[in-house]
Amino acid sequence: MAPERWIVFTAVALPFIAAALLPLGYRLLGERVGYAGAAVAAACFGLVASLVGTSGTVSTPWIPSMDVAVRFYVDGWALLFALLASGIGVTIFAYSARYMHGMPNLVRFYATLLAFMGSILGVAFASDLLVLFLFWELTSVCSFVLIGYHADEAESQFSARMAMLITVGGGLCLLVGILLLSSAAGVVLGGGAFDPTFDLAAILATETSEGSISAQLEDSGLFLPALVFVTVAAGAKSAQVPLHFWLPRAMVAPTPVSAFLHSATMVKVGVYILGRLRPLFGGPEWELLIAGLGLATMTVGAVIAVRAVDIKELLAYSTASHLGLMVAAFGFQVHYGAEAGAFHLLNHALFKAALFLVAGIVAHEAGSRRVDELGGLWRDLPVTAAITGVTALSMAGIPPLHGFYSKELLFAAAWDVAEASGGLAWLYPATATVASVFTVLYSLRFLWLFLGDRPEGLGSVHRPSPALVAPPALLAGAALLVTVLPERAIDLLVQDGALATATAGETVSVHAELPLELSGPVAMSLVAVGVGVALFPAYDRVLAVVDGGYRLSRAVHPTALYRGLLAEIERSSGGVRRWLHTGLIRSYVWWALAGTCAITLAGYATTGAPPAIAGLGVPAAMVLVLGVAVVAALSVTATDTHVTGVLTLSILGFMVAIFYILASGPDLALTQLVVETLLLLIFLLVIEELPAFYGELEVSVAVRDAALSLVVGATAFVSVLLVAPPGGGSLSGTAKEYVERAPKEGGGTNVVNVILTDFRAFDTLGESIVIAMAAMSVLVLLAMRGRGETR
Amino acid sequence: MTTIIMKTTARVVVPIVLVVAISLFLQGHNLPGGGFIGGVLTVAAFTLVYVAYDLDYLEVSVLERDVDPGTGIFEHRTVTTYRRLFTLGLAVTLASGAGALLFGAEFLSQTFEYVHLPLFGEVELATALLFDVGIYCVVVGGLLAIFSVVGAE
Repeated sequence: MAPERWIVFTAVALPFIAAALLPLGYRLLGERVGYAGAAVAAACFGLVASLVGTSGTVSTPWIPSMDVAVRFYVDGWALLFALLASGIGVTIFAYSARYMHGMPNLVRFYATLLAFMGSILGVAFASDLLVLFLFWELTSVCSFVLIGYHADEAESQFSARMAMLITVGGGLCLLVGILLLSSAAGVVLGGGAFDPTFDLAAILATETSEGSISAQLEDSGLFLPALVFVTVAAGAKSAQVPLHFWLPRAMVAPTPVSAFLHSATMVKVGVYILGRLRPLFGGPEWELLIAGLGLATMTVGAVIAVRAVDIKELLAYSTASHLGLMVAAFGFQVHYGAEAGAFHLLNHALFKAALFLVAGIVAHEAGSRRVDELGGLWRDLPVTAAITGVTALSMAGIPPLHGFYSKELLFAAAWDVAEASGGLAWLYPATATVASVFTVLYSLRFLWLFLGDRPEGLGSVHRPSPALVAPPALLAGAALLVTVLPERAIDLLVQDGALATATAGETVSVHAELPLELSGPVAMSLVAVGVGVALFPAYDRVLAVVDGGYRLSRAVHPTALYRGLLAEIERSSGGVRRWLHTGLIRSYVWWALAGTCAITLAGYATTGAPPAIAGLGVPAAMVLVLGVAVVAALSVTATDTHVTGVLTLSILGFMVAIFYILASGPDLALTQLVVETLLLLIFLLVIEELPAFYGELEVSVAVRDAALSLVVGATAFVSVLLVAPPGGGSLSGTAKEYVERAPKEGGGTNVVNVILTDFRAFDTLGESIVIAMAAMSVLVLLAMRGRGETR
Repeated sequence: MTTIIMKTTARVVVPIVLVVAISLFLQGHNLPGGGFIGGVLTVAAFTLVYVAYDLDYLEVSVLERDVDPGTGIFEHRTVTTYRRLFTLGLAVTLASGAGALLFGAEFLSQTFEYVHLPLFGEVELATALLFDVGIYCVVVGGLLAIFSVVGAE
């Protein structure tokens, strides 16, 4: 069944409209506007939910000449992601309404959060590659604003900038990947490599037929570059090693943001795109790259999570680890891979969002986020403890909780691949098991915040308000529901989602049942849980080992590399600044003119030989006028005061005006005269402010300036030669056309004016905007000068 | 520059310049001239007043209003007026362009009509003139805003 067009468009547009109306809503509702946000999210959830069971493309043209349209594609995978984003959005907004009580800048906070949700829905449904890119970058920008919520704290600024650089940098890689893909698609589907096709649904549809786009990419040798660029983009967004370090840093954002963006939605965008493109890129290269990347992240994230000292940091690294799990799942080229990836997307979103909200409650009520300062909280926070029990054990993958099923599917995928390939491929299940041991360890550690002994230093813990506990309880309830009725959840959502990510030839059929007999994957689960639980009493010793390894590898930590790179960039741009940014207008003018001339001349040089100079029949009057102009120009350099300099310069200007008259351009001449007069007046206006004499002239400066003058003159000369119509005084075709049409269609006999106001009025409009902009810039610059912008 | 010679010359010249500017602006459709040229010439006239007298001269002596000396140059009434003028100019150009859309024509397309007026006889009314009014306002407002602020430094 095809989806209703208006439902899809409304679902994506609604959050943006709500974000625009939010300042008004804040006026009316105050802090309760958070609940309005929840209502918007619920409306989106309802709209998306009504689409379940449909599939197909809806579109509206955007740039038809480039075959770009706002296309939205609805299928199981898009619906799963969109439902998660909007559904979790409801709980996050409801939680924020209470959690953000009394905080500043709430309008910006909620508006960005809404816009963010809209962008995620956009990414989920986007079927046009450019629209996808647009929404993709929008999520990065919104995330930047939200991470930097505490805009005046250095820590926030650093983290927000880091997230922005990494994810937007990844976005640029995505753009390259998209362009490679679309040009290959152009060859297969359209008129050729220069007639790109951006329709993702059409691109994916070719994979099942002859003449596929991946084959085309391989023929042109671009398969691997496209794959790598897309992987880097997805890895940056989904915090894969070695670009994982921005995610824990992003935890400076308020907790609802961490729960929403950095566990359930934004970081899933990378996983989502990998799932989306899996049918296209699937193959041995894909498996090696993606599965390897995912498993590495899964292990590194889990190991670092064990040594985290802050509960949000623990959850952040655990998020990276679970993202690695999903990425690895999509990497494996067996049907279990698609199943594990799609199922874990749902499971992880449910338990991780709940856990983050729990972390927020703990920080809010106990006043600390340090792991070693918290413990035995179950007496103070019984409901929260119950929520944590369900979700943390699910995170650890303990049966029969829902997290177990998807993890078991991953183990099955790794095991199958290893069995089929043998040899080194056994590293896949081995790594996955090791990572899971650590997952069990840190999950239990988080649970021990509630179960263990109560530390001495922990003061009184308040009871959280029901408004704070209800959202995570709702999520935990959903998690329990998936645990009890896994087949129902699979039928509704996961099966269709996994189908969309399956490569051709895979038969996807998601099952979730407790294993009753021993097999390879079951053994992996047993080892992971068994060793994890057995090691937990010796947590301190594990921690010491991990800490030792962490310190040894300090030199290659990506954070250190990132800092070093930033410092290097700052240093070298400081070096460039000493040349360019001197604060002296004359040096700016020098660079601007030199740059313009260089680019112009280079442009001429690449287009071919200069034209021959023909028809030097210049009337005597013109020679005289131009001669006077040259004399005036030369004598300007010899003047010793400003007044004589200005007056001599205006001789030059007036001579040029006369030249225009001789060349029968009265409009130009008038303009030149008027502007010249005005310039003279401006000089008179400012002349008293200028220094009275020029001072000593350094030889090097004089030589440099003379050289620049020559180059500028040469550029102007060559330009005139190239642009001027061939001699003989006859009008060009365009000019004739204008002369003919001006009285008839423009109603004016002054052709120049008709061109300005009618034929090319758009140019004139642009120029008038430039004038207005110049005026505004001058006003702003002068007004800001006194405001202590000294840094 | 505020010498007697300058002041006297400005007194005589400025009205003539202004009239010439307006005539250049109006005749622009059929003879040399137009919004930009008329605008720049108007600016020249005003700048001449500023050079010969000062920024407050027009307000105080010609219009006989009081000028509040306390506020800075950016809140100065003259500068505010110029700012409004170029904003208005942009609005007029855009509106004259968008007006064409109402008649089903493309953005910024112009048309013209001949009407018979008493005294003037046959007069051409072109929508291009409206567009030119906008350009004129932008040029006058923009340039004068810059000059009055810079000149006050």
